[in-house]
Amino acid sequence: MTSKVYVALRVKATPQRAFAVFTEEIGAWWRPSGLFQTTPRAPGALAFADGRLTETLANGKVFEIGKVLAWEPPERLVFSWRQANFPPDLHTEVEVCFEAVGDETRVSVEHRGFHQVPAGSAARHGFPDHALLARLAEYWQAQLRSVGARAELR
Amino acid sequence: MAVPNTKDWRAPLMSAVCYRDPKAALKFLEAAFGFELSMLIEDDQGNVAHSEMRFGDAVVMVGSEWSDDHKSPASIGGKNTQTVHIQIDTDVDAHCERARKASFEILVEPADQFYGDRTYRCRDPEGHIWTVAQTVQAVSREEAEQASGLKITGWI
Repeated sequence: MTSKVYVALRVKATPQRAFAVFTEEIGAWWRPSGLFQTTPRAPGALAFADGRLTETLANGKVFEIGKVLAWEPPERLVFSWRQANFPPDLHTEVEVCFEAVGDETRVSVEHRGFHQVPAGSAARHGFPDHALLARLAEYWQAQLRSVGARAELR
Repeated sequence: MAVPNTKDWRAPLMSAVCYRDPKAALKFLEAAFGFELSMLIEDDQGNVAHSEMRFGDAVVMVGSEWSDDHKSPASIGGKNTQTVHIQIDTDVDAHCERARKASFEILVEPADQFYGDRTYRCRDPEGHIWTVAQTVQAVSREEAEQASGLKITGWI
Protein backbone atom coordinates (compact mmCIF):
# COMPACT_ATOMS: atom_id res chain seq x y z
CA MET A 1 0.00 0.00 0.00
CA THR A 2 1.03 3.54 -0.49
CA SER A 3 -0.17 6.82 0.90
CA LYS A 4 -2.49 8.94 -1.22
CA VAL A 5 -3.31 12.59 -1.16
CA TYR A 6 -6.35 13.40 -3.28
CA VAL A 7 -7.85 16.81 -3.93
CA ALA A 8 -10.49 17.90 -6.44
CA LEU A 9 -12.01 21.11 -7.65
CA ARG A 10 -14.83 22.00 -10.05
CA VAL A 11 -13.68 24.33 -12.80
CA LYS A 12 -15.96 26.27 -15.15
CA ALA A 13 -14.32 25.07 -18.35
CA THR A 14 -14.36 22.02 -20.61
CA PRO A 15 -12.04 19.09 -19.93
CA GLN A 16 -10.19 20.00 -23.15
CA ARG A 17 -9.59 23.52 -21.91
CA ALA A 18 -8.63 22.40 -18.39
CA PHE A 19 -6.22 19.77 -19.72
CA ALA A 20 -4.65 22.26 -22.12
CA VAL A 21 -4.19 24.88 -19.41
CA PHE A 22 -2.80 22.32 -16.97
CA THR A 23 -0.19 21.03 -19.41
CA GLU A 24 0.59 23.91 -21.78
CA GLU A 25 0.37 26.79 -19.34
CA ILE A 26 1.87 25.24 -16.22
CA GLY A 27 4.64 27.83 -16.40
CA ALA A 28 2.03 30.53 -15.86
CA TRP A 29 -0.20 29.09 -13.16
CA TRP A 30 2.22 27.04 -11.06
CA ARG A 31 2.57 28.34 -7.49
CA PRO A 32 5.92 27.46 -5.88
CA SER A 33 5.92 26.74 -2.18
CA GLY A 34 8.77 26.84 0.28
CA LEU A 35 7.42 23.66 1.89
CA PHE A 36 7.66 21.58 -1.27
CA GLN A 37 10.75 22.96 -2.94
CA THR A 38 11.58 21.20 -6.17
CA THR A 39 15.15 22.54 -6.10
CA PRO A 40 17.18 24.53 -3.57
CA ARG A 41 17.35 27.44 -6.05
CA ALA A 42 14.82 30.18 -6.68
CA PRO A 43 11.73 28.75 -8.38
CA GLY A 44 12.08 28.40 -12.15
CA ALA A 45 9.67 27.86 -15.01
CA LEU A 46 7.82 24.56 -15.23
CA ALA A 47 6.97 22.95 -18.56
CA PHE A 48 5.72 19.67 -19.96
CA ALA A 49 7.84 18.76 -22.99
CA ASP A 50 9.27 15.63 -24.58
CA GLY A 51 7.60 13.35 -22.10
CA ARG A 52 8.99 15.16 -19.09
CA LEU A 53 7.97 17.73 -16.52
CA THR A 54 10.91 20.08 -16.13
CA GLU A 55 11.82 23.21 -14.26
CA THR A 56 14.18 25.65 -15.97
CA LEU A 57 16.08 27.74 -13.45
CA ALA A 58 17.31 31.31 -13.81
CA ASN A 59 20.85 30.05 -14.43
CA GLY A 60 19.60 28.02 -17.40
CA LYS A 61 19.90 24.64 -15.69
CA VAL A 62 17.04 22.23 -16.26
CA PHE A 63 15.81 20.08 -13.39
CA GLU A 64 13.63 17.09 -14.25
CA ILE A 65 10.76 16.85 -11.77
CA GLY A 66 9.36 13.78 -13.45
CA LYS A 67 8.58 11.73 -16.50
CA VAL A 68 5.17 11.59 -18.11
CA LEU A 69 3.80 8.10 -17.49
CA ALA A 70 0.37 8.54 -19.10
CA TRP A 71 -0.82 11.25 -21.48
CA GLU A 72 -4.50 10.81 -22.31
CA PRO A 73 -5.97 14.20 -23.21
CA PRO A 74 -8.43 15.43 -22.16
CA GLU A 75 -9.09 12.90 -19.40
CA ARG A 76 -5.95 11.85 -17.62
CA LEU A 77 -2.31 12.60 -17.04
CA VAL A 78 0.19 10.74 -14.87
CA PHE A 79 3.73 11.81 -14.11
CA SER A 80 6.42 10.88 -11.66
CA TRP A 81 7.47 13.46 -9.10
CA ARG A 82 10.76 13.96 -7.36
CA GLN A 83 12.30 16.89 -5.62
CA ALA A 84 16.02 17.63 -5.55
CA ASN A 85 15.98 17.01 -1.79
CA PHE A 86 14.57 13.47 -2.19
CA PRO A 87 16.89 10.47 -1.74
CA PRO A 88 18.07 9.35 -5.20
CA ASP A 89 15.91 6.24 -5.38
CA LEU A 90 12.67 7.86 -4.24
CA HIS A 91 10.02 8.54 -6.85
CA THR A 92 6.45 9.50 -6.17
CA GLU A 93 3.60 9.67 -8.64
CA VAL A 94 0.94 12.23 -9.51
CA GLU A 95 -2.27 11.44 -11.39
CA VAL A 96 -4.45 14.25 -12.70
CA CYS A 97 -7.98 13.54 -13.96
CA PHE A 98 -10.38 15.78 -15.86
CA GLU A 99 -14.00 14.67 -15.62
CA ALA A 100 -16.86 16.52 -17.29
CA VAL A 101 -19.73 17.30 -14.90
CA GLY A 102 -22.46 19.18 -16.74
CA ASP A 103 -20.77 22.20 -18.27
CA GLU A 104 -17.96 22.10 -15.72
CA THR A 105 -14.91 19.91 -15.20
CA ARG A 106 -13.91 18.18 -12.04
CA VAL A 107 -10.13 18.36 -11.91
CA SER A 108 -8.54 16.01 -9.40
CA VAL A 109 -4.97 15.37 -8.34
CA GLU A 110 -3.82 12.23 -6.56
CA HIS A 111 -0.24 12.26 -5.28
CA ARG A 112 0.91 8.79 -4.23
CA GLY A 113 3.83 7.70 -2.12
CA PHE A 114 4.91 10.93 -0.46
CA HIS A 115 5.09 9.23 2.96
CA GLN A 116 8.24 7.49 1.68
CA VAL A 117 10.20 10.69 2.18
CA PRO A 118 12.45 9.49 4.99
CA ALA A 119 12.49 10.84 8.51
CA GLY A 120 15.16 13.49 8.73
CA SER A 121 14.92 14.45 5.05
CA ALA A 122 14.81 18.18 4.38
CA ALA A 123 11.76 17.47 2.23
CA ARG A 124 9.83 16.45 5.35
CA HIS A 125 10.47 19.52 7.51
CA GLY A 126 10.23 17.28 10.55
CA PHE A 127 6.56 16.56 9.95
CA PRO A 128 5.06 13.19 10.86
CA ASP A 129 3.19 11.47 8.01
CA HIS A 130 -0.23 12.88 8.77
CA ALA A 131 0.89 16.50 8.94
CA LEU A 132 3.14 16.11 5.90
CA LEU A 133 0.32 14.67 3.80
CA ALA A 134 -2.11 17.35 5.02
CA ARG A 135 0.32 20.08 3.94
CA LEU A 136 0.77 18.30 0.60
CA ALA A 137 -3.01 18.31 0.13
CA GLU A 138 -3.14 22.05 0.82
CA TYR A 139 -0.29 22.57 -1.64
CA TRP A 140 -2.19 20.78 -4.40
CA GLN A 141 -5.42 22.57 -3.50
CA ALA A 142 -3.62 25.88 -4.06
CA GLN A 143 -2.33 24.58 -7.41
CA LEU A 144 -5.84 23.51 -8.42
CA ARG A 145 -7.28 26.90 -7.48
CA SER A 146 -4.64 28.54 -9.62
CA VAL A 147 -5.09 26.28 -12.65
CA GLY A 148 -8.86 26.63 -12.26
CA ALA A 149 -8.72 30.42 -12.19
CA ARG A 150 -6.61 30.40 -15.34
CA ALA A 151 -8.84 27.87 -17.13
CA GLU A 152 -11.87 30.04 -16.39
CA LEU A 153 -10.24 33.05 -18.11
CA ARG A 154 -11.30 33.33 -21.71
CA MET B 1 5.19 32.37 2.79
CA ALA B 2 2.83 34.07 0.40
CA VAL B 3 0.68 31.75 -1.66
CA PRO B 4 -1.91 33.48 -3.84
CA ASN B 5 -5.48 32.30 -4.12
CA THR B 6 -5.57 30.93 -0.61
CA LYS B 7 -8.92 32.45 0.31
CA ASP B 8 -10.82 29.64 1.96
CA TRP B 9 -14.21 29.10 0.32
CA ARG B 10 -15.42 26.86 3.11
CA ALA B 11 -18.15 28.03 5.45
CA PRO B 12 -16.48 28.49 8.84
CA LEU B 13 -18.58 25.91 10.69
CA MET B 14 -17.96 22.32 9.57
CA SER B 15 -19.17 18.97 10.80
CA ALA B 16 -16.79 16.05 11.14
CA VAL B 17 -18.68 12.76 11.06
CA CYS B 18 -17.21 9.45 12.24
CA TYR B 19 -17.64 6.13 10.47
CA ARG B 20 -16.38 2.59 10.99
CA ASP B 21 -15.85 2.44 7.23
CA PRO B 22 -15.26 6.01 6.05
CA LYS B 23 -14.43 4.93 2.49
CA ALA B 24 -17.86 3.32 2.17
CA ALA B 25 -19.37 6.50 3.65
CA LEU B 26 -17.68 8.65 1.00
CA LYS B 27 -19.43 6.53 -1.62
CA PHE B 28 -22.88 6.40 -0.06
CA LEU B 29 -22.91 10.09 0.85
CA GLU B 30 -22.13 10.95 -2.76
CA ALA B 31 -24.82 8.57 -4.00
CA ALA B 32 -27.47 9.84 -1.60
CA PHE B 33 -26.77 13.56 -1.31
CA GLY B 34 -24.46 14.42 -4.21
CA PHE B 35 -21.65 15.47 -1.90
CA GLU B 36 -18.39 15.63 -3.88
CA LEU B 37 -15.08 14.41 -2.55
CA SER B 38 -12.78 17.43 -2.41
CA MET B 39 -9.97 16.03 -0.28
CA LEU B 40 -8.86 12.57 0.80
CA ILE B 41 -5.69 11.64 2.62
CA GLU B 42 -4.84 7.97 3.05
CA ASP B 43 -1.89 6.65 5.03
CA ASP B 44 0.40 3.90 3.76
CA GLN B 45 -2.00 1.29 5.12
CA GLY B 46 -4.87 2.71 3.07
CA ASN B 47 -6.63 4.13 6.14
CA VAL B 48 -8.47 7.42 5.82
CA ALA B 49 -6.48 10.04 7.70
CA HIS B 50 -8.68 12.93 6.62
CA SER B 51 -11.36 13.65 4.07
CA GLU B 52 -13.65 16.47 3.07
CA MET B 53 -16.77 16.38 0.92
CA ARG B 54 -18.07 19.56 -0.62
CA PHE B 55 -21.71 20.63 -0.79
CA GLY B 56 -22.14 24.15 -2.11
CA ASP B 57 -19.73 26.26 -0.12
CA ALA B 58 -19.76 23.93 2.85
CA VAL B 59 -17.79 20.83 3.68
CA VAL B 60 -18.42 17.84 5.83
CA MET B 61 -15.39 15.90 7.06
CA VAL B 62 -15.79 12.14 6.88
CA GLY B 63 -13.46 10.32 9.22
CA SER B 64 -12.77 7.08 10.99
CA GLU B 65 -13.27 6.19 14.64
CA TRP B 66 -9.90 7.75 15.24
CA SER B 67 -9.96 7.82 19.04
CA ASP B 68 -11.86 6.17 21.87
CA ASP B 69 -14.02 9.28 22.02
CA HIS B 70 -14.94 9.26 18.34
CA LYS B 71 -17.48 6.62 17.42
CA SER B 72 -19.91 5.84 14.65
CA PRO B 73 -23.52 5.33 15.74
CA ALA B 74 -22.96 1.77 14.48
CA SER B 75 -20.59 1.25 17.44
CA ILE B 76 -22.77 2.83 20.14
CA GLY B 77 -26.13 1.23 19.70
CA GLY B 78 -27.29 3.56 16.95
CA LYS B 79 -27.34 6.66 19.15
CA ASN B 80 -26.68 10.10 17.65
CA THR B 81 -25.45 12.98 19.76
CA GLN B 82 -25.41 15.41 16.89
CA THR B 83 -27.11 15.47 13.50
CA VAL B 84 -26.34 17.36 10.35
CA HIS B 85 -28.97 19.51 8.65
CA ILE B 86 -28.86 20.01 4.89
CA GLN B 87 -30.67 23.03 3.43
CA ILE B 88 -31.44 22.82 -0.28
CA ASP B 89 -33.31 25.15 -2.62
CA THR B 90 -34.87 22.66 -5.04
CA ASP B 91 -37.05 19.54 -4.98
CA VAL B 92 -36.74 18.02 -1.52
CA ASP B 93 -38.99 15.12 -2.56
CA ALA B 94 -36.60 14.13 -5.36
CA HIS B 95 -33.73 14.49 -2.88
CA CYS B 96 -35.50 12.03 -0.58
CA GLU B 97 -35.99 9.51 -3.39
CA ARG B 98 -32.31 9.70 -4.22
CA ALA B 99 -31.42 9.00 -0.59
CA ARG B 100 -33.87 6.08 -0.49
CA LYS B 101 -32.30 4.59 -3.63
CA ALA B 102 -28.89 4.85 -1.95
CA SER B 103 -30.21 2.55 0.81
CA PHE B 104 -30.77 5.29 3.36
CA GLU B 105 -33.66 4.56 5.71
CA ILE B 106 -36.31 7.27 5.48
CA LEU B 107 -37.31 7.92 9.08
CA VAL B 108 -39.82 10.70 8.30
CA GLU B 109 -41.16 11.22 4.79
CA PRO B 110 -41.14 14.75 3.31
CA ALA B 111 -43.72 16.94 5.05
CA ASP B 112 -44.48 20.66 5.27
CA GLN B 113 -43.52 22.29 8.57
CA PHE B 114 -45.17 25.28 10.30
CA TYR B 115 -42.09 27.44 9.74
CA GLY B 116 -42.35 27.18 5.97
CA ASP B 117 -39.91 24.38 5.17
CA ARG B 118 -40.62 20.98 3.70
CA THR B 119 -38.36 18.45 5.39
CA TYR B 120 -37.51 14.77 5.59
CA ARG B 121 -35.26 12.80 7.89
CA CYS B 122 -33.17 9.78 7.03
CA ARG B 123 -30.61 7.41 8.52
CA ASP B 124 -27.48 6.39 6.63
CA PRO B 125 -26.12 2.83 6.60
CA GLU B 126 -23.98 3.46 9.71
CA GLY B 127 -26.77 5.12 11.66
CA HIS B 128 -26.08 8.84 11.28
CA ILE B 129 -29.33 10.79 11.06
CA TRP B 130 -29.56 13.57 8.48
CA THR B 131 -32.33 16.16 8.09
CA VAL B 132 -32.97 17.77 4.72
CA ALA B 133 -35.07 20.87 4.23
CA GLN B 134 -36.30 23.13 1.46
CA THR B 135 -38.08 26.43 2.17
CA VAL B 136 -41.38 26.23 0.31
CA GLN B 137 -43.25 29.24 1.68
CA ALA B 138 -42.55 32.50 3.44
CA VAL B 139 -43.93 32.45 6.98
CA SER B 140 -43.91 35.43 9.35
CA ARG B 141 -42.99 35.16 13.01
CA GLU B 142 -46.58 35.84 14.01
CA GLU B 143 -47.88 33.10 11.74
CA ALA B 144 -45.30 30.66 13.04
CA GLU B 145 -46.11 31.52 16.66
CA GLN B 146 -49.81 31.11 16.01
CA ALA B 147 -49.34 27.80 14.21
CA SER B 148 -47.02 26.33 16.82
CA GLY B 149 -48.03 27.94 20.09
CA LEU B 150 -44.35 28.67 20.67
CA LYS B 151 -42.78 31.96 21.61
CA ILE B 152 -40.17 32.71 18.96
CA THR B 153 -37.29 35.15 19.21
CA GLY B 154 -34.68 35.95 16.62
CA TRP B 155 -36.98 35.45 13.63
CA ILE B 156 -36.20 38.00 10.96
